[in-house]
Amino acid sequence: MVGKERRYILAGIVILGFLALFSLLWGQYPISLEVFRAYMNNLIFSTPVDASYNLELIHNIITEIRLPRILLAILIGAALATSGAVFQAMFVNPLVSPGILGVLAGASFGAACGMLVSENWLVVQVMAFVFGFIAVGFAVLVGSMVTNSRSTVMLVLGGVISGSLFTSLLSVVKYVADPYSTLPAIVYWLMGSLSMAQLDEVLLVAVPILMSIAGMVFMSKYFDLLSLGDEEAKALGVNVGLIRIIAIVLATLASSLAVVMAGIIGWIGLIIPHIIRMAIGPSHKLLVPLSAIVGGAFLLAADAVSRLALSVEIPIGILTSLIGIPIFIIVLKNARAAWN
Amino acid sequence: MELEPMIEVKDLHFAYKKHKVLKGIDFSLFRGEVVSLLGPNGCGKSTLIRLILKLLDGEDKIRIAGRSLRTYSHKEIAAHIAYIPQYHHVPFGYSVLEMVVMGRVSKLGFFASPSKKDYEIASAALRRVGIAELENRPFGQLSGGQKQLVLLARAIAQEVNVFIMDEPVNGLDYGNQIRLLELIDSLAKEGYTFLKTTHYPDHALLVSSRVVVMDGGKIIADGAPDEVIHSDMIKRVYGINAEIITHDLHKRCVPVFR
Repeated sequence: MVGKERRYILAGIVILGFLALFSLLWGQYPISLEVFRAYMNNLIFSTPVDASYNLELIHNIITEIRLPRILLAILIGAALATSGAVFQAMFVNPLVSPGILGVLAGASFGAACGMLVSENWLVVQVMAFVFGFIAVGFAVLVGSMVTNSRSTVMLVLGGVISGSLFTSLLSVVKYVADPYSTLPAIVYWLMGSLSMAQLDEVLLVAVPILMSIAGMVFMSKYFDLLSLGDEEAKALGVNVGLIRIIAIVLATLASSLAVVMAGIIGWIGLIIPHIIRMAIGPSHKLLVPLSAIVGGAFLLAADAVSRLALSVEIPIGILTSLIGIPIFIIVLKNARAAWN
Repeated sequence: MELEPMIEVKDLHFAYKKHKVLKGIDFSLFRGEVVSLLGPNGCGKSTLIRLILKLLDGEDKIRIAGRSLRTYSHKEIAAHIAYIPQYHHVPFGYSVLEMVVMGRVSKLGFFASPSKKDYEIASAALRRVGIAELENRPFGQLSGGQKQLVLLARAIAQEVNVFIMDEPVNGLDYGNQIRLLELIDSLAKEGYTFLKTTHYPDHALLVSSRVVVMDGGKIIADGAPDEVIHSDMIKRVYGINAEIITHDLHKRCVPVFR
């Protein structure tokens, strides 16, 4: 059991590593493995190389363009998928995700407000988190107002209402935004893009994202228990209130930061945990860390497709929806088997 | 023999909003006892159990192992008492072994995952209740009787002495009801303490060292099974006629039509 978990996680990391290497080398300007090896040797051991390799150009491509983008794709995919798995456990509901609970809409409204009032990126991040959190709270409130049982349908409806509310509020922000500078910035950012990634920004946001993912992974044994219902979890010795609030804060933080960095990238939070549950099983001790790895790999692969498949780059948010929707339909078809 | 009760309830009142459910309960549970809590629907049995497990707010009047329940965290309660709920739907398809390992959570640190040892303890608990072969089956696909055994194994894996069961035989077929009662009986002989609610006076006669009868939020009888369970009590609490007969030196409660 314990050994099996390690093997799956190791396999996931290896696949992610290969995908990352492929994305690093392949692109408009392909870098061969041989050149890459020479570049790395030069970087680490200062091994002299043939001048014809044009190391400076390669260095620029890797550190300025490809590496930040790869890191960002992995981070955001991991953040969204992990948050999705955690939200599904928290609300004992396989149909919720950061998108469906309204977190993404709330966070994008917050971030857009932030862009409107301030140039400071930190303000944007904090606003995104605050409104992401308000949006989940609102969804849960609406969901529990009608009935106090934990009804799947009501929670999803609450999320739909919360999402619509913040999407409308976002439209208000767009309407009042300066049509020549702020508005286009908001619109392009909302479509979801990884192409604006700067290495220093990515490293900055990596810290809180990785910390919240790590927190969720370390707490994962409690998610199994919470999905049994509050009373049973308490009787088994779990501090349900504390675990729930920490988990929701971490999941909201991770998905809000993902929105700040790359706009609304939908479906990952919903489909990745489902795929893992179907393929490997529902135990969160494995589901949460694997969601992080597979989510990262999925977004990295989707980004590679968006960069390489067509001559024009498709916004990544549109692409994940196009890939995610058919997968979700298949998932729904098999849902009964996966949930029971 | 001077014993400190594991669970001690003194003058416990409880109301949901304005609806009074418990009206002055005095109750103790001692180590090694098998107590059946009998009474009609709505008499407050389940409320009492939920209060003891601190799932409802009424801690002042309850002591566990000599300490006020108010000073206990859920983790500390779980170090004394295992709760075996009625089997129920679980939204995600955990395996049987994963369900049982969840009983280990109160023994683990905040960041720790269940270790190999925890899985071994869980497997041993499954062997104890006789369903080792179901280890890797999804919990959701088991029959009601098997699910109840899994929940009992989870309590065993929790490694505590006191088991609280909420209507353990509810929804089980006749064979599984009796098999579960036999298992409770054999666990009691190993030294486990049981507090179980039941709807069946006959089951209380089969497996109990003491019977507590509740009606209208009060305890109306508390004592040895064959002293407490008699025709008058059944008539008073349930409003039906029943006779107590003796078979093979064992008392049985048999309902009769009039």
